[in-house]
Amino acid sequence: MIFVHLFYEFFKIGLFSFGGGYATIPFLYHIGEVYGWFSGADLERMIAIASVTPGPVGVNMATYTGLTSGGIIGSLVATTAITIPSLILIVIISKILKKFRENFYVKAIIYGLKPASCALLASVAIQMILSKSNDIYAMVLFGIFLVMSFITKKDPLFYLGVTGIIGLIIFLLKT
Amino acid sequence: MSLFRLFLLFVKIGAILLGGGYVILPVMKSEFVEKNKLISEDDLVDYFAISQSLPGIIAANISIFVGYKLRRTLGAIVAVAGVTFAPFWSIVLLASLISKYLHTSIMQGIFWGVGIGVMVLMISATREMWAKAFEDKFAYLIFAAGLAVMLFTDISPVWVVISSAVTGVIYKKIARWRIKE
Repeated sequence: MIFVHLFYEFFKIGLFSFGGGYATIPFLYHIGEVYGWFSGADLERMIAIASVTPGPVGVNMATYTGLTSGGIIGSLVATTAITIPSLILIVIISKILKKFRENFYVKAIIYGLKPASCALLASVAIQMILSKSNDIYAMVLFGIFLVMSFITKKDPLFYLGVTGIIGLIIFLLKT
Repeated sequence: MSLFRLFLLFVKIGAILLGGGYVILPVMKSEFVEKNKLISEDDLVDYFAISQSLPGIIAANISIFVGYKLRRTLGAIVAVAGVTFAPFWSIVLLASLISKYLHTSIMQGIFWGVGIGVMVLMISATREMWAKAFEDKFAYLIFAAGLAVMLFTDISPVWVVISSAVTGVIYKKIARWRIKE
């Protein structure tokens, strides 16, 4: 039964997530709440690992989520399911590529989807920050790195690497 | 090009990509346009542009386009299987390693720190989307409504996506109808 649910949920993500790798996260956050396959903290770990392993973040997220909730078959089901909507859509629209882009409805739908996808991602970011709001150390570090991210654009690896090392140092100092 | 070579090429592309699909354009250009001369650069740029406005994973979308162009439906399937191959196995291996050591306190310390980095990345990703999200003032209303629904209700993001798409169509219909008047 878990495989049916995994397929159904990841097919939906493949069909409804717009805007690249991180766009899958709001959907994962939601299914984590509904099915209890993983917690918010698990999801944070997945995002970190997906960002530092090779491959598109969306694929990594699907594989990892599938793995934690249904083992290796689960990860295979999730990864396949998330790409099937793209496969079907692209085989259909490949023949009408030019018309597709100029189409009134396509443009109107994208007009509505862009701000909505941004809102989905923003909501998860806000919920993540709120969940840590009584950890003073985390909030101070977050503030510092956030300011840094506004000033210079750095690779995801930089933020995850440096914060990981800081976490390690703080742990070593405590013991 | 044989399906097997196509598969291997996409395995290579999937293995090179790190941290998101945006670097896929230069990588694909070097593999398919320059080295192997299989598709034109114009086609590739087109695929890239359309892939971003389609649902799903951008890198997978571009791969499906290229695979379909070269070997039709079978090529599309081979392409997506290839591009997800390396990410799939790297996650499976890494995740089993991590879950083994996850409950040690050193790992807990590292992941406490990494959680902060993830929040910064989430904000960066949101800002990137924000920069391209608004065609006019009404789009801010869609953003606000979507955010409110996500924060204050348990409604699935799927419904936010569907209703914003419908809103977009209605809004543009009214706008077009007004111009005609």
